[in-house]
Amino acid sequence: MPLLEIRGLIKRFIGVTAVDRVDLAVERGELVSLIGPNGSGKTTLFNCVTGYLATDGGRVLFGGRDVTNAPSHSVARLGIARTFQQVSVFPRLSALDNLLVFLQQHQEESFLARLLRSRRLRRLETEAVERARRLLDLVGLGDRATAAAGSLSFGQRKLLAFAAALMPDPELLLLDEPAAAVNPTMINQMKQHILALHRQGKTVLLVEHNMDVVMDISQRIVVLDHGEKIAEGPPDVIRRDARVVEAYFGR
Amino acid sequence: MRRAAACALAAVVVSAPWLVAVVVPRQQRYVLHVLIFTAFFAALALSYDLVVGHVGSLSLAHPAFFGVGAYTAAILATRAGWPFLADVVGAALAAAAVAALVGVPLFRLTEHAFAVGTLGLAVVASIVANNWVDVTRGPLCITGIPKPVLGLSGGPALVITTLPGQYWLALVALGAVVLLYRGLTTFRLGRAFHAVRDNEPLAGAAGINALKYRLLAFTIAAALAGGVGAMYVHYLSVMCPEEMTIGLTVNLLVIVFLGGVGTLRGVLIGAVLFTALPEVLRLAPTWRLVIYGALLLLVVVRSPEGIERLLRRTTPSRVAG
Repeated sequence: MPLLEIRGLIKRFIGVTAVDRVDLAVERGELVSLIGPNGSGKTTLFNCVTGYLATDGGRVLFGGRDVTNAPSHSVARLGIARTFQQVSVFPRLSALDNLLVFLQQHQEESFLARLLRSRRLRRLETEAVERARRLLDLVGLGDRATAAAGSLSFGQRKLLAFAAALMPDPELLLLDEPAAAVNPTMINQMKQHILALHRQGKTVLLVEHNMDVVMDISQRIVVLDHGEKIAEGPPDVIRRDARVVEAYFGR
Repeated sequence: MRRAAACALAAVVVSAPWLVAVVVPRQQRYVLHVLIFTAFFAALALSYDLVVGHVGSLSLAHPAFFGVGAYTAAILATRAGWPFLADVVGAALAAAAVAALVGVPLFRLTEHAFAVGTLGLAVVASIVANNWVDVTRGPLCITGIPKPVLGLSGGPALVITTLPGQYWLALVALGAVVLLYRGLTTFRLGRAFHAVRDNEPLAGAAGINALKYRLLAFTIAAALAGGVGAMYVHYLSVMCPEEMTIGLTVNLLVIVFLGGVGTLRGVLIGAVLFTALPEVLRLAPTWRLVIYGALLLLVVVRSPEGIERLLRRTTPSRVAG
């Protein structure tokens, strides 16, 4: 059974079918990329899967469980993490708190325990802070832990958002253009981070325009054009696929 | 150093009735009255800040919850003969129930529409208080609300009649609100509130149900406002519809936003300044409101994020980044 299974997903906006009966399955531990020209429906597909857009048809299954049109917070709690194309952080919270926010469901406690600041609560908090610091160190933001996220540079915010998505140790990661609009050094860094996750056995679905990154790290590539899936296969096959070349460069 | 300063401040606050008696013996009653009002306003403003400052929803409905609590306590105490503590709890629960009920449809609105919706609630509540004469006695006011009595029925009881006693009681109420405020706005729960305020879509990706946390803050804030309303009417011994007009919202907005939205000490500073200031300015009765207005403008221009922000600049350890 695939970890994520999308069956015949449809999303229509006024006059446009942004996602048109797309089938997509991602096996546990796979690293799959979703590519396609601008406006081909990649981000819309992400938004439908993670509860940010209501679908107009089709089903989304996660670990065999129907999550079609579940609200975003429920999807997140099931173990699907996502990042956003327009880099998204909590600007007034510190970098450290930005990560801690993502541990919500692991830190839930009774109201009484809160008021009494029970020992268990303090232990959970200490563990959470340790984990957050480790992740900040991993993406090279260890020395900016107390800085407000809004004061970080674009690239730093991108790394912070990535680290935040890892915080709850999700089963499935949906990354929306992690290598877009950042410098070559950071693209390489991001590539290494994604590969490291893959080696740890995480399942990753990646939307990315940078073909070097996509061809280099993906096990399998799915190509969308005008909302339809036009090709699917390993990088070598996709590179030579006539329909893909046509979608990107025209006839 | 900070700890010592805090202890000194606490000592001054607690011993205020004696200090007042020594410093301004002739005006002791008046000054104490202002201090009691300040404590009530501080508690009310802190409860208001839970919604406005921490989950970032501009509610204008706070007078409605204050009023529901005040009337509930007034009616329970005068007509049903409930003891003081019981009717304070009843008032808080009644206000919370109203908030939970209206909160579900209100939070379907966002931003400005939400503000206008809550404004509507405040206006309706005020009109009801004026016109539902059978229950609220309308403009005739509910009078004869007994002084607070601490203790259980049958057991030994302590009747709070003196002004210093009322002051300490108000301080205890304020202290309870401060503890709750701190408990609710730190650690996991506080982070959830702040996440919803800063970036609602991203909060969803973090597994946070924004509506749930907004409703939670709104309902708890209403309960606290209702409780303060109950204490307030037991102090004044009368409840009139004018106590819950939109003017109260304006005062709260001034206290919270000019003091320092979303910060405990900012709101406390705001409450002290903007409750005591208009009274101090009575020394210049003709120009009182002009000076008050000019001072508000000055704060808005010099420190748009509130007075608390000024304190932060002078304390290097607190500067972010």
